[in-house]
Amino acid sequence: MAILVIAEHDNSTLKGATLNAVTAATRMGDDLHLLVAGADCGAVAEAAAKVACVSKVLVADNAAYEYQLAENISRLIAELGKNYSHVVSPATTNGKNFMPRVAALLDVAQLSDITAVDAADTFQRPIYAGNAIATVQSLDAIKVITVRGTAFDAAAAEGGSAAVEVVGSVHDAEISSFVGEEMAVSDRPELTAAKVVISGGRGMGNGENFELLERIADKLGAAVGASRAAVDAGFVPNDMQVGQTGKIVAPELYIAVGISGAIQHLAGMKDSKIIVAINKDEEAPIFSVADYGLVADLFDAVPELESKL
Amino acid sequence: MKVLVTVKRVIDYNVKVRVKSDNTDVDLANVKMALNPFCEIAVEEAVRLKEAGTATEVVVVSIGPKACEEQIRTALALGVDRGIRIETEDSPESLNVAKLLAKVIEEEKPELIIMGKQAIDTDNNQTGQMLGALLDMPQGTFASEVQIDDGKVNVTREVDGGLQTVALNLPAIVTTDLRLNEPRYASLPNIMKAKRKPLDVKNPTDLGVELKAHTQLLKVTPPEERQAGIKVGSIDELVDKLKNEAKVL
Amino acid sequence: MSEYKHPYRDAEFILNELVDFDALCADAGMEDINAELASVILTEAGKLGSDVLAPLNEVGDTQHPQLGESGVQQTAGFAEAYQQFVEGGWNSLTPSEEYGGQNLPNVLGTAVNEIWQSSNLAFALCPLLTQGAIESIAHHGSDELKQTFLPKMVTGEWTGTMNLTEPDAGSDLAAVKTKAVPNGDHYLISGQKIFITWGDHQMTDNVVHLVLARLPDAPPGVKGISLFVVPKFLLDENGNPSARNDAHCVSLEHKLGIHGSPTCVMSFGDNEGAVGYLVGEANKGLAYMFTMMNHARQGVGLQGLAIAERSYQQAVEYAKERLQGTKRDGSRFAIIKFPDVRRMLTQMKASIEAMRGLALIAAAEIDRNQYAKDDSSAQQHNARVELLTPIVKGWLTELAQEVTYLGTQVHGGMGFIEETGSAQHYRDARILTIYEGTTGIQALDLVGRKTLMNDGAHLAELIAEIEVTVSELEASDQFASQGKALREALEEGKTAREWLLRNAPEDAAAAGSISVNFMMMFGYICGGWVMGQSALKAQALLDAGNGDPEFLTAKLATAQFFSEHLLPRVKANLASIQAGSASIMALNEDQF
Repeated sequence: MAILVIAEHDNSTLKGATLNAVTAATRMGDDLHLLVAGADCGAVAEAAAKVACVSKVLVADNAAYEYQLAENISRLIAELGKNYSHVVSPATTNGKNFMPRVAALLDVAQLSDITAVDAADTFQRPIYAGNAIATVQSLDAIKVITVRGTAFDAAAAEGGSAAVEVVGSVHDAEISSFVGEEMAVSDRPELTAAKVVISGGRGMGNGENFELLERIADKLGAAVGASRAAVDAGFVPNDMQVGQTGKIVAPELYIAVGISGAIQHLAGMKDSKIIVAINKDEEAPIFSVADYGLVADLFDAVPELESKL
Repeated sequence: MKVLVTVKRVIDYNVKVRVKSDNTDVDLANVKMALNPFCEIAVEEAVRLKEAGTATEVVVVSIGPKACEEQIRTALALGVDRGIRIETEDSPESLNVAKLLAKVIEEEKPELIIMGKQAIDTDNNQTGQMLGALLDMPQGTFASEVQIDDGKVNVTREVDGGLQTVALNLPAIVTTDLRLNEPRYASLPNIMKAKRKPLDVKNPTDLGVELKAHTQLLKVTPPEERQAGIKVGSIDELVDKLKNEAKVL
Repeated sequence: MSEYKHPYRDAEFILNELVDFDALCADAGMEDINAELASVILTEAGKLGSDVLAPLNEVGDTQHPQLGESGVQQTAGFAEAYQQFVEGGWNSLTPSEEYGGQNLPNVLGTAVNEIWQSSNLAFALCPLLTQGAIESIAHHGSDELKQTFLPKMVTGEWTGTMNLTEPDAGSDLAAVKTKAVPNGDHYLISGQKIFITWGDHQMTDNVVHLVLARLPDAPPGVKGISLFVVPKFLLDENGNPSARNDAHCVSLEHKLGIHGSPTCVMSFGDNEGAVGYLVGEANKGLAYMFTMMNHARQGVGLQGLAIAERSYQQAVEYAKERLQGTKRDGSRFAIIKFPDVRRMLTQMKASIEAMRGLALIAAAEIDRNQYAKDDSSAQQHNARVELLTPIVKGWLTELAQEVTYLGTQVHGGMGFIEETGSAQHYRDARILTIYEGTTGIQALDLVGRKTLMNDGAHLAELIAEIEVTVSELEASDQFASQGKALREALEEGKTAREWLLRNAPEDAAAAGSISVNFMMMFGYICGGWVMGQSALKAQALLDAGNGDPEFLTAKLATAQFFSEHLLPRVKANLASIQAGSASIMALNEDQF
C-alpha cells in the first residue's frame, strides 16, 4: 500500500517542511502520494508534482480547506487515509493540529515528531524534551505519523513528475471558523525566546560596533545579546546581558562574537543547541564549548558572515 | 457554564531525566512527580473563567493510579471545584485516554474542555485533538488567548510564524500553550480546603471503555552526547557547516 | 547568583522517619494532617521560595533598603514578593485558628520556614519576627489586644517587630531604659531601640512593634521591665490604621550581611510620645520574652541550617561545572572529582543533614509538649525543648559558619568574588551566632539553667535516649563501627557532664570557661545520634525495597562521614573541658 504525505503550504507555495516529511516517508515505503488540501491551491499542486519520489498528487481544492481547519481537513484525510499504510505529515503546528484527529477518526495511534525510521512500523522519537529517545513500534494497520523536519534531509523539490488527481470530497464540519491571523513582523525576538542569539563581548570595542551583529540578527531573525564585560564597559544596556547574572538562553544557534567565555557567561548559554564562537584568541575558553569555532578578527569575519547569509 | 480540565501526573520539570540501564524506559522510581506544566496552565485558565463569573463549575479529571490524586488535589487547591480520577494501572496511550475522557464528558456535559497541549513526559501533543475527533467537537490548540463570547469561544493560537484566531462553537476543546497565562501558586488555606473537596473514582469498565494497545515501546536510549567542537578555517566553511551539518540556518 | 531548590527528600525523610510526623499529628488530635499533606505544602512553598524569593536574595544584598522622608524604603521587588507570600497565606501556617491561622504543627512550620530562610534570609526575617510578635500577644495579651492586632498579623497584612536592645542594653536586658508613662487607657513610650530588624518598611500598611520599657514606679533590674504594643499607625474606631504614631526609624545600620533586611534604630516618643498598650501585667515583660525564647532561638538555629543548605547547593553546582583538572588526553574535568573538594562537599552535606534532623526533632518537641496528654509527659517534653534549644541555636549557627566557609572555599578565587554569590551566604551567615543570644549566651544557658539547675538530670535523660540508638547501631554488623564511635562520644559526653557538676560549685569560672566546648560537644553528639538513627532507618527502607536507593545510600554515606570525621571533634571538646579554666583565666587584664 502507498503512503500518503500531507503537504504543508499556504495555498500559494509548498513549504519546505513537506520535503523533509517526504524523505522520512521514503524510508517507510516506495509509493508516495502527496495530498494538497486548500483553496485556490493549484500552484501548490504544480510544485508538489515536481517533488522527487512522489508518484501521485491529490488535490482537494475547496473553500472548506482554505485555512486547513482541523475539524474539516481531518475528515478528508481520514477518508483518504483508509487506503494507505502510512499517513505522514510534517510536525508543524498545522500537522500537529489535525493529525491526531485523523488518527482518532481512524481509531489508531499517532506517532508524534519522529526523528528516525527504523522499519516501516518502527520509529524513533524524542521524549522528555529530548532527554531520552524512544523507539516505538506501531501495532496499527495504518500508521499516522508526524515528522520532525530537522531530523531528515529535504527531498529534491524538482525532478519528479507525479500525476495530479483531483479529490472531490468536501468536508465542512461547520463547527469552527477562521477569524484572523497575525504573522510575526520583522522586529527582533526576545533574547530568551529567540531561536538564534548573536552576542558580542568586549572584543566588539564599542557600542556602535554592535551594529555589525544587529545586521546579522535582522537576517536570521535573531536576538542580540552581550557578555557582562561588554555591558560593564558600557557598550550596551544591561538587559542585553547573557550569563549567570543576566539572561539564561538556550537557542537553536548561539553565536558568540569577541567573547572570551568567562564561566559566568557560559552558565547563561551553555544549553544552546549549536554554539559558534568567533574570536581572535585561539586559547579563549569559549572554544571549549563551541561546536564550531573560528579563530579570526571579528571585524573581518562578521561582515563576511553577513554577506554570506 | 461548566468547564472541565484534565491534568496529568508527570516527572517534575526540574528533575533531570535518567534512562534506565536496561533501556526499557526512563527511571521514574522515586523521582519527584508534579502537575504537568501545560495542565497547570489549563487549570489556571479554568479558574480564571470561574473567577470572572463565566464558569459556574470547574471539574478536573486525571487518569492513572491513586498517586494521581495528588495532582487532582493540587488542581483543587488552585481553585477547581471537584475531581474525578479514572483508575488505571499506569498512564494509558493517548487514544485510550481520549476515549476515557470522551465518556466522562458525555456524562458531565461541560461546555468547555481545557487541556494542556502536551505532557512533558511523552511530548505527544495528541490527546486534546483526538478527543475533539471522538466527540466531534471543535478544537483550539496551542492557545495563547481564550475569549468566551455568545455561544462561541474565540481562541488565539500560536502557530508557526505567528498567531491565528479561530471561532469555535461550544462545546469546544482548548489546549494550552505556555503564554496563555501564568499559573498562580496554591495558597495554604486553599491547600487545606482542597482536602475536603469531592473526588470521585471511576474505572474504565464503568465507563464502558476497553483499553487497547496501539503501540509498543521497544527501548529508550539517552540522546547522543554533545560532540566535541571543531575549529573551522573560514566563514564559508562555517556557513556550510551551519546549513548542512547542524541544519540551523 | 544561584538557584535554590528545596531538598524535599531529606525534609520528608526526617519528618517521616525521625520525627514520625503522622503519629505526632494523630497524638495531637489533628485529623487529616499527615505526611502526604505535609508533602503538598512543602512542594507549594518550595515553588514560591525558588521562583519568587530566591531570585531576590542577591538583589537585597546589592540594593540595600534606604531611609527616606516617609521611612524605610525596602529593596525593590520585596514588596511584591511579600504580597505573594501573604496572598499564599503562608504567614498563617502555625497560628491558632481563632485568629485565622491554620494551626498546623510547629515542626511543619519549621520545615516550611527552612524554605523561606534558604530562599532569602534577609526577606524571611520579616515574617519570622512577625511570628515572634504574634506569639507574644497571643500568649500574654488581653483579649482586646488579641482581637485588635492578631488577625491582621496572622494574615501578614501587618508585620511585627521585637524592640528589645538599646545602646546600653544588649545581652543584659536588665539595663533597659526606655520609659512608659501611663496616659489614660494607654501609655506613652519614649526611648531609643537599636538593632530592630524590619523596624520599618512600606510593604504593609501597618507595623506592630513590641517594645520593652520601664514604668515610672518599676523596680530596678530585670523585674521592672514591661512589654508594650506600639503600632506604627494608631487604629481608628474600625480598627484601620489612621494617625501616625510617634515611633520612627531614625537610622539604618550598615552591616556585614543580611543587607536586604533593614536593621533600624527606632526612636519612640521624640515628639508627643508614642502610644503603647501594655501586654499582660506590668513588670513581667522579660518573663514574657523568655516564654517565646525557645521558639525564637530554634528559629535562628534553623536559619543556620537554611543558609548552610543554600551555600551547599551553590557549591555543588559550581564544583560540577568548574573544569580545572586536565587528563592525559588533554580533556578537562570538573573539580568535584578532586578528593579534597569531595571532603568539603561531603562535610557540608553531612553537617546539613545532621542540622536538619536536630532542628526538626527539637521543633517536634515543642508540639509534643503543647499537645501532651498529661502533665508528666508535658514536663518531659518541655525539659527536652529547654535542653535542645541552646544546642539548636548555638551548634547549628556555629556549624553554619563552617559550612558557608567551605562553600566559598570550594569556589576557590571565584568564591571571593561577589558576583559568584557564595560570598553573600558567608556574610549573611555571620549574624546568626550573634543575634537572639550569642553563642556564648547559648552555651551559658546550656550549662547553667539547662544543666546545673537540675543537677544534670535533663541531660542524663537525653544521654539515656541516645544510648538506645547506640545499642541499635552496635547490634548491627553493618553499623557496629558507627555504634562504637557514638558510644565513645557519648561516654565523653558523660564525663564532661560529671566534670561540670563536680567543678562548677568549686570554681566560679569553670562553667563559663568550658561552656562553648560543652555546647558544641553535645551538638556533635546529637548530630551523631541523628545520623545514626538516619542510617538505621535508611537501611531498613532499603531492605524493604522502599524509597529511592540513590537518596538512601547517600544517607548511609553521610552518616558514616559524620561518624568518622565530625564526631571525633568531641574528643577535642572534652580535652578542652577537662583543662578547665586555668589557662583561660591566667592572664591579668593588662597582659591582653
